[in-house]
Amino acid sequence: MGRYAFFPGCAAKGVAKELYESSVEVFKALELDVVELEEFSCCGAGVLEEIKDELDLVVNARNLAYAEKYERDILTVCSTCLRVLLNTKRLLDEDEDLREKVNKVLKDVGLEYTGKADVKLFHWVLLEEFGEGLKDKVKRKLNLKVYPYYGCHTLRPSDTIRYEFSENPNSLEKLIEILGAEPVSGTRKLECCGFHAFWMAPKLSMKLTGLNLKDAKDNGADCIVTPCPLCHTNLDANQSRALKEINEFFEIPVLHVPQLVGLALGISEEKLGLKRNIVPFKTLGGVR
Amino acid sequence: MEKRKVRFEIYRYDPSKDTHPRYESYEVTVSKGMTVLEVLQFIKDNYAPDLSFRAYCRSAICGSCAVKINGYPKLACKTQVLREVEIYQTDTLRIEPLDNMKVIKDLIVDWDEPFEKLEKVKPYLVPNPEVVPDTLDKESRISPEQHKKYDRFTDCIMCTACYSACTAATYDENYAGPFQLARLYRFAVDPRDGIQEERARIGFLYDMWNCVRCEKCADICPKHVSPVNGVLGLRGIAVNSGDNTPGSRHVRAFYKSLLESGNLNEMLLPLRTKGIKGVLENLPLGIKLLLKGKVHSPVPKKIKDHDTLLKVMREVMEEENG
Repeated sequence: MGRYAFFPGCAAKGVAKELYESSVEVFKALELDVVELEEFSCCGAGVLEEIKDELDLVVNARNLAYAEKYERDILTVCSTCLRVLLNTKRLLDEDEDLREKVNKVLKDVGLEYTGKADVKLFHWVLLEEFGEGLKDKVKRKLNLKVYPYYGCHTLRPSDTIRYEFSENPNSLEKLIEILGAEPVSGTRKLECCGFHAFWMAPKLSMKLTGLNLKDAKDNGADCIVTPCPLCHTNLDANQSRALKEINEFFEIPVLHVPQLVGLALGISEEKLGLKRNIVPFKTLGGVR
Repeated sequence: MEKRKVRFEIYRYDPSKDTHPRYESYEVTVSKGMTVLEVLQFIKDNYAPDLSFRAYCRSAICGSCAVKINGYPKLACKTQVLREVEIYQTDTLRIEPLDNMKVIKDLIVDWDEPFEKLEKVKPYLVPNPEVVPDTLDKESRISPEQHKKYDRFTDCIMCTACYSACTAATYDENYAGPFQLARLYRFAVDPRDGIQEERARIGFLYDMWNCVRCEKCADICPKHVSPVNGVLGLRGIAVNSGDNTPGSRHVRAFYKSLLESGNLNEMLLPLRTKGIKGVLENLPLGIKLLLKGKVHSPVPKKIKDHDTLLKVMREVMEEENG
């Protein structure tokens, strides 16, 4: 069993608090060795590199160095945090001069980056640690059709993420099947939700989200599941606004991956923070 | 040698004759190493002499043969059939023309739109008379560090694969496009260029802030140029030149949050990014989140060892730009 440092990301502490709650419950239920490091800072969501590349690098090298210090791999529940942390890791692991430069800065605060700590997404860890064995821990029948919405940074850029084929991934489908639910396919499951342009181009952002929601509904999904809290914010909290943008009016619940896992493991809806989802989960009839 | 029967569903459309596009299927025995372009030529030679596609250099340098292969834009001459079959776990490959451009015939698209957009961003060096000598007897020297900043972007072969994959270009007519903005950035960081500051403004005019960061252009670029990094670089020029548009303010909001506590202050994000307009626009959302107990405290708790974060951030910000 691996040792993990929990990197919840800022969204899981605010706009997606239920993601934090459900993750912690699943860690407990599965007896995973996960500790949240209080030293972790915001990864910068990829905007620090717009100020200066080196700024993004030192902020995240510092995060990675703390994980190393406690001899743990980073486990994150945010796809954008994943992309940003892995981007730093790839650059530093593959460029000795750059690593030396960054380490000179880290040394002043008693830290060092060596590249020992890996960065993994929540559902990757579950598949790696338990795989099909997770089936034995399922306590509740999920009679649900689930639309796996990956989110861009779960997969792209593949040079950075390097987990599965970005053009034809199947990790979420695999997880959904292991949990006893049915994955439904769709043409927009790998498309963008527009979250990162939400502030600058809200109409564009809402249109993308609306189209994704409609694709899930058109494919007969009971709910959507996503590993990214930023996608979740657009799909769930901004759902009515997004559907208005494409002249559609319906509701479809959107779960975080740990919420879906938690339901299958028999954890109570309250502990999974389901009451915090904006589109009510109770509209689902399939969970027994 | 490994051989396999593969079915190719090829988009056929001649706007001068056909009312609708259609797909025609051809079964081809493919051997190891065979490219999609070789298959297209085989089909043209043996089954469909009227099939139209572009192909010149056949060695991934001219950028003419980009098509969509199972939905993803790729150079037909560089893409091996059996690898695609492995990625998609299928014996059927669908070959279509690129997106975001009009189809002229079959797999040939009209490049006018992306290249008209390219022209708008002044994709050429406007010499700075203070740096570039006006006589050919003298050199205009570039240091390796200066060259490194734009070297990668000069690898672009303008195949338009990124333009086809671009989410912003699909929904925003005014968006310049990934390779266009990367080209703009390439000159913005060239020390010989005389309109560097204007270049960030050109980026703004053609919606550089509307890039959704989907990273598709980074993923599909056959030359690993990663055009999105050019977009980010251009934004950086705007941010660092004191630009006060929402895009730059959004970036600074993250920076301030890190300095204040180490974590993002979501509560202040609307105000810091778009001012009072941002607050009003997002009031319904804010209320929904508040009722669900999902808002950060306006006075966030500092992370542990926040001083180490401040120190490393300040150190790199004080460094001279190399």
